[in-house]
Amino acid sequence: MDSSKMNTIAFIGLSHLGINYSLATAAKGFEVIACDPDQALVQNLSDGKFPVAEPGLEELFSENRRRIHYTVNPDELKLASLIFFSLDVKTDANNHSDLQPLCRLIESVASHITSGSTVVFLSQVTPGFTRRMVAQLRNEGRWQAGAVYYQVETLIFGRAVERALHPERLIVGCADPTPPFPEPYRRWLESFGCPILPMRYESAELAKISINFFLVSSVTTSNTLAELCEKIGADWLEIQSALRLDARIGPKAYLNPGLGLSGGNLERDLQTFRDMANELGVDWRLVEAWQANSRYRRDWVLRLLFHHLLTSLDSPRLAIWGLAYKENTNSTRNSAALVLIESIPHIEKQAYDPQVRLPDNTHPKFRQVSEPLAACREADALAIMTPWPQFKDVSIMEVRSAMRGRLILDPYGMLDETKARQEGFAYFKLGAGEQSTVNRPGCDD
Amino acid sequence: MDSNMPQHLNKQPSKPRRVVILGSGGFIGRKLSEKLAASGIEVQGVRSSDINLCSADSAVALRAIFRPDDVVVFAAAITPDKGKDVRTFMRNLQMAENVATALEGIALSHMIYISSDAVFADDLPPITESTPADPPTIYGLMHLAREKILASVLEKTKTPSLVLRPCTIYGPGDTHDSYGPNRFLRSALGERKIKLFGQGEEKRPQLYIHDLIAILLEALLRRTTGLLNVAPGESASFGSIAQQIIRLVNNGTSVESMTRSGPVTHRHFAPSNLLRAFPRISFTPLETALHQFLRELT
Repeated sequence: MDSSKMNTIAFIGLSHLGINYSLATAAKGFEVIACDPDQALVQNLSDGKFPVAEPGLEELFSENRRRIHYTVNPDELKLASLIFFSLDVKTDANNHSDLQPLCRLIESVASHITSGSTVVFLSQVTPGFTRRMVAQLRNEGRWQAGAVYYQVETLIFGRAVERALHPERLIVGCADPTPPFPEPYRRWLESFGCPILPMRYESAELAKISINFFLVSSVTTSNTLAELCEKIGADWLEIQSALRLDARIGPKAYLNPGLGLSGGNLERDLQTFRDMANELGVDWRLVEAWQANSRYRRDWVLRLLFHHLLTSLDSPRLAIWGLAYKENTNSTRNSAALVLIESIPHIEKQAYDPQVRLPDNTHPKFRQVSEPLAACREADALAIMTPWPQFKDVSIMEVRSAMRGRLILDPYGMLDETKARQEGFAYFKLGAGEQSTVNRPGCDD
Repeated sequence: MDSNMPQHLNKQPSKPRRVVILGSGGFIGRKLSEKLAASGIEVQGVRSSDINLCSADSAVALRAIFRPDDVVVFAAAITPDKGKDVRTFMRNLQMAENVATALEGIALSHMIYISSDAVFADDLPPITESTPADPPTIYGLMHLAREKILASVLEKTKTPSLVLRPCTIYGPGDTHDSYGPNRFLRSALGERKIKLFGQGEEKRPQLYIHDLIAILLEALLRRTTGLLNVAPGESASFGSIAQQIIRLVNNGTSVESMTRSGPVTHRHFAPSNLLRAFPRISFTPLETALHQFLRELT
């Protein structure tokens, strides 16, 4: 294999996953071919226009533009020694994975992959997919590739660049974990300077689900205890510090309460497990409980709005800060804000989000504005649905001047609770009763 | 969104041509008849004194009443205060059998079955439409069985239907004397005494009759289909309800504690689907409702 091919790595499928990993690979000094059949997407990416918002992505592009080549031509995959399938697997409304686009992509480029190349599936496949797909392609005689691997992706929306550049470990699924990795893949893996964990395909595929199960477990446990805090006058923030100092729980544990699960990845893994467990006769009642709790906590704002506002005013107006499912992303997948908006079609809604711009006329009585205070204009209540850090900088006094009502629903505690009360607001946040006065920091995840 | 969300077949409210109310002499039926009549909707009431739904003959009599494009509200049942035994259970099922027989081959415009939250077990997490029905009593089992019986018939005729599972209902015109606001208020006004099991620690949601009727009217106007629990999101202990009533009547009423026969159980609802389906409805606060109730009683 010539040295140019040895140092060239290809990514096929340029959604969030492929965009971030291809640029992170270029940043490690490799030559990168980034390929996707979507001509318009490839043109935009070549021009540095990204369909996803991630902190640091534009800088990563500027710094490494010379080492990445965007193309629609799958024949260029022959120039690479290592090829990643990096198309994100989308989910339907019920969080079932739709693997068909990935399967079609694999089949469409299979003949362009030469016998010396190593292939890695980076997409979020379901357990059993890799071994099944490789066997099928080899049996059909359409697959000349050498070794095939599945690698767990652990990107986080809003922190994807950081996670792609600095993974805490790399989990690699192998047909057989015993032999050493082919040279191009070994070099790529070792360039990240973190532990490398080879294991069977099925173990790696389930490892990804396992990681997310522990995250869901922490989030749901926090939400459940936070709700009790709200009822008895405890403050979850105070309890959190005690938990973080427990070595069995840890300083980075997911202990911030939230509005249920959102973003799509956690929900997808719960549904995948549930489907497999149902088929195989494995107990999935815990998963069912997590899913039910997520739906219940997602409606926290809705319940408070009905209790404190909607039943007492004929034509209330609601200000909404944040539409993204979390801060630092433009993804709205399973966003609590959008679910709330869909739940109150009869209410006037004025929304602001730093990144998300919804198409006009997507929701009745809904309009989007370009700054937070404009959303508050003549509003009876303010709901802060996404913990964007810049919301902390908005003056409560200016919020008060803009609004006509005095109700703030601030699940993530973005505003100064004491000041809000001093300005005459009824103030509610997750994990604390109405009378709590403890300030809390923003979310760290 | 919850996959159990009910659907509105009428995108805009539209008055039904005629509403047949089975059980129009009961608590719910009578209030609904009054509301529909006041809203200019034709009502055909069916009282037990008109047609005994437990009798096999009733199917023929009902067939003579039902017209295609009717809306039927099934609000007839022999409630636990009139019997909790197997015979009552069977008579309630006979009603459902006779109504089902009468409905065979008739495609109605819409049907609403008034079930009960008795289909749920005690001590559950906040109850939603996804909570499995697991009735601890044969009264709850009866309602669940009637839901299924009617669904099997309505499916054949493609009749759109809605099942409502209300919690305990209170308010003026109540024909029952079940443990809760109705009985407490009457006994406070009469004997000046409210009898509580233990200290009345059990928490339950209480549904004001006018709120249920408002929801029923909305469901009729929108031809709502599916399944909905009808209960406010706040539950109150019987003890706190008794204290509210004592303050309200202000006549020296006292509380008498009785030995409870079972453990303390609680019940809470998470009514998100109801709030989404009918965003304009509201639950009357207990204190306000008790004031209204008292005015109507006195």
